[in-house]
Amino acid sequence: MVGLSLGEQHFVKGGIAQDLRTDGRKRLTYRPIYVETGVIPQANGSARVKIGGTDVIASVKAEIGRPSSLQPDKGKVAVFIDCSPTAEPTFGGRGGEELSSELALALQRCLLGGKSGAGAGINLSSLLIKEGKVCWDLYIDGLVISSDGNLLDALGAAIKAALTNTAIPKVNVSAEVADDEQPEIDISDEEYLQFDTSSVPVIVTLTKVGTHYIVDATAEEESQMSSAVSISVNRAGHICGLTKRGGSGLDPSVILDMISVAKHVTENLMSKLDSEISAAEAADDES
Amino acid sequence: MAAKPGAATPTYSPKLVGRTRLPIFKDSDLDWSRPDGRGFHQCRPALLQTGAVSSASGSAYAEFGNTKVIVSVFGPRESKKAMVFSDVGRLNCNVSYTTFASPTLGQGTDHKEYSSMLHKALEGVIIMETFPKTTVDVFALVLESGGSDLSVVISCASLALADAGIMMYDLITAVSVSCIGKSLMIDPVTEEEGCEDGSFMMTCMPSRYEITQLTVTGEWTTPNINEAMQLCLDACSKLGEIMRDLLKQAASASEE
Repeated sequence: MVGLSLGEQHFVKGGIAQDLRTDGRKRLTYRPIYVETGVIPQANGSARVKIGGTDVIASVKAEIGRPSSLQPDKGKVAVFIDCSPTAEPTFGGRGGEELSSELALALQRCLLGGKSGAGAGINLSSLLIKEGKVCWDLYIDGLVISSDGNLLDALGAAIKAALTNTAIPKVNVSAEVADDEQPEIDISDEEYLQFDTSSVPVIVTLTKVGTHYIVDATAEEESQMSSAVSISVNRAGHICGLTKRGGSGLDPSVILDMISVAKHVTENLMSKLDSEISAAEAADDES
Repeated sequence: MAAKPGAATPTYSPKLVGRTRLPIFKDSDLDWSRPDGRGFHQCRPALLQTGAVSSASGSAYAEFGNTKVIVSVFGPRESKKAMVFSDVGRLNCNVSYTTFASPTLGQGTDHKEYSSMLHKALEGVIIMETFPKTTVDVFALVLESGGSDLSVVISCASLALADAGIMMYDLITAVSVSCIGKSLMIDPVTEEEGCEDGSFMMTCMPSRYEITQLTVTGEWTTPNINEAMQLCLDACSKLGEIMRDLLKQAASASEE
């Protein structure tokens, strides 16, 4: 929790109103993004993303599982977020739990798309090995190491990077099996499949402070927010998910305005993130 | 349970203002109708009642098609846990499903996700300063799940809060829209929710014309979002009028 004096509060708000924030950025400028992939050797894919003082790690683990009876033609993906109390004392106990589940829900909404799978960042059908019998279960875990605002955007970027880094072993299924038996599978340790992450959306959170809204708010700025809207946009410029935080109401026209601004911001962010991820991947391959 | 309003429950449909709409049945993939025979932009008839639970400070029952929800509000009452002093009130929300609410088994539990979304939808509208140091509990029970559960729960909760006499800036109404293919469908039922490409849920304060909660999933283009928002806003204000009329009726009935 950031405790700001009245003077500091005015300073933060006044700066935003004049398009010059406390760290010298404009309203719609991101802090530098730093990406590192392959940070966790035990996971199938992992990435660490730093945006200013915010530092998060995402890992992707794949496990052989059984498709659910309701959707026998799809694999499963679960998103968990852990806000470590080492990042901020308020994350200990229930405060962290609530925030974690809120973030996980928002990320799930952005990554998995609609019920029919439209707009999904991860194609669930590609996780299927044999219909109704075997599929991959993906466990996406996010860990917040240190928090200086804008956690959702950072986690979204980290998950995108981790998925790019993910290699899933190729699986061969023995063809002839009776219907009620579990087929034998053979997990290859040489051939790996890579994810196509070009459709994974990026998340942009617009935080409304006073009458203006800003991207990539720091913790200081977040403490002054009245509401925030997180919008995830994919490469095609379509909106893949939207969540609103903060209790105060917003005029419908403001929300539509935010959406168009978010789409504009995403174009830059997406290309920047892509180049960072490919640079990190190249560095990871060398080492 | 209170008497059912005499007249048949009104169905309502939002209208799109400001521009002419292309005919809906234009594309060849639209040779189907909705499971309950409604128009694409027609909401289910809303049956609402207040005072469904006598022991609660306020309560409401809502029936939108097959979706049946009961919400009771307790308080303001003393905060149970020994918590630090707070000069504003607290809101505690809980949404649960009965075991027979949906055809699939093992659903009869608390719905954490919905509980937090109900909380977020309501916290902005209740004037928390009017009950310092105390807590208002909102318990919602979904008796039967028939689609658009969360929006029905939220609308019903605001009615129950009004019935309990909790001070609010405005009534809260919620409406959801499903996107299937190219068409938008307001107030989807379970079957439609199961195969939707995208869902859009909005809660707003109709008289203040402010959106308090908005969630979008699936893939949406900007024109679609615009249209969905228009539809929801209009449906919300119409539902708001129905709720307001009901509260007036209930108030005048109790005076007599």
